[in-house]
Amino acid sequence: MNKLFDSFLITIFWGSGLILLAGLIAIIAYLFIQGGSALSLDFLRLPPAGSPLGKEGGVLPAIKGTLYLIGIALAVTSIPAFLTAIYLSEYAQPSPLLNTMEVLIQSMAGVPSIITGLFVYALCVVQLGWGISLLAGGVALSIMIFPVIVVSMRDSLRAVDRDYRLTGAALGVSPAYMLRRIILPQSWRAIIGSILLAMGYAAGATAPIMVTAAAISAPASGNLFDPVMALPYHLYLLFNEHISLDNAYATALLLVIMLLILNSVALALTGTGNMKKRR
Amino acid sequence: MNRTITNTFIKIVSFVIAFTCSLLIIAVFLFILRESLPIWQMTNPLAFISGREWSPVFEPIQFGIAPMLASTLWVAFGALIIAVPIALSCAIFLAEYAPDWLARLLRPVLNIITGIPSVVYGFLGAAVLVKFFEVRFQVASGESLFAASIVLAFMVVPYIVVNSESALRAVPEEFKLSALATGVSKPYVTMKVVVPMAKRGMLGSIALAFGRAAGETMAVLMIAGNVLRFPESWFSRGEPLSALIALELGSAAPHSSHYQGLFAAGLVLIAVVTIINISINYLVKRNELVKY
Repeated sequence: MNKLFDSFLITIFWGSGLILLAGLIAIIAYLFIQGGSALSLDFLRLPPAGSPLGKEGGVLPAIKGTLYLIGIALAVTSIPAFLTAIYLSEYAQPSPLLNTMEVLIQSMAGVPSIITGLFVYALCVVQLGWGISLLAGGVALSIMIFPVIVVSMRDSLRAVDRDYRLTGAALGVSPAYMLRRIILPQSWRAIIGSILLAMGYAAGATAPIMVTAAAISAPASGNLFDPVMALPYHLYLLFNEHISLDNAYATALLLVIMLLILNSVALALTGTGNMKKRR
Repeated sequence: MNRTITNTFIKIVSFVIAFTCSLLIIAVFLFILRESLPIWQMTNPLAFISGREWSPVFEPIQFGIAPMLASTLWVAFGALIIAVPIALSCAIFLAEYAPDWLARLLRPVLNIITGIPSVVYGFLGAAVLVKFFEVRFQVASGESLFAASIVLAFMVVPYIVVNSESALRAVPEEFKLSALATGVSKPYVTMKVVVPMAKRGMLGSIALAFGRAAGETMAVLMIAGNVLRFPESWFSRGEPLSALIALELGSAAPHSSHYQGLFAAGLVLIAVVTIINISINYLVKRNELVKY
């Protein structure tokens, strides 16, 4: 009887793991089946056309807009995040202050992205008078990905073998020298990997840019104070305004393909596929 | 000498940056509080939370977010009800039973599940799941808090799995070995030794998932139905707080009471997430004290 119960449990454990695998495969396969035919080279190359706008044509301005947004977010956030990670892993001594900082950064990761959008809307769009703009959206995304990058970079730095640090300290080498000659050469792959994962996160974020940056249609001039189109928001509009289901599937597929590419490169760089990064 | 200066320089700069950036979350909180301040002076917080009428523009102007708050809670707890059993069992599978190759395959899979944009989930949920409900149950509109919960459940499963798995892996090997040495089966050891010891981390992972589910915007916006009525059950339509903010912020004139009302709603959303987190942590701590 007990044996029966044991094998029942084991079946459940296996089943739950396989269900997730099957769910993901089903989602990706379904997107390929539904969106594959509409996702052509012209779809990538042309601006939206038709009436209502988006019924025909492609998504070029939305692709550009998304790339601009990611670019700004990375430009704003990567260096502060890198320095923060270096402080947390290399310089900080255990103290109540360090604990508080870590807790604050962890909780920043838990702030809903719409709240980040709300903050940037009040600060940048209204108070600073930038209006609905590319720059405001970039700032919103940078705040959103900051804690994600910090945590994963910090963990990559900390993952470097402790023996090296002890040896370095015993030889009287300064932390800065250790960092440049030992720690960074060993962890740069993981650091680039965490930036790539954050790019994927930023590319798909919709709520924060919906309230700070996104427009139904914009030429993607690259002007910092103009609204932009963005792929995820474009997808939302295509579906919600009943513009074109086919193009919506193609856009969703495009987003997922981008994500898969970023993830595979990051995985290839880090080698292990350690999932802690996404916290 | 020169090297010492470089070192000190990096140390100071990195500290200042780290310190400033970690204060950012406090700035976010204070800013949202400031923008919503006039609302709190106008209506008392209890009336704001329990009021059932949201009419920020047309007379009589009323700010009540009970329907949205209830929708948020339905959607988030509903998602947990679906996600927790699957996720915990998957975490146990990964930590104790999965063969190495399968575990190596599943981890990137979890990574990708968290990575897929929420708007894609919302789109698929609305285009497939909602349609399915409409056809299957012959209803005019398949949108419901329940449908949103299903989609959210899939989205938050990885958060629970990953953090629970590391909690399970943290249980020292000796405990498992000595338990096995008494001749009981492996599932018995898992359920009676490993899981109880990892309970704290597992509950923490659930709290994290709750925060994700309650704050998630696009998926619920596209699936939950966006009706400002009080949701009578899990299967009615509703508009969670996050969806309310995303939908109305663009049309609210800056510094109007509508605008301030939305910031007040944002503050309530933060408060809900924080309160749930703190109380789960408190519960876990108390359990711990009893145990040891």
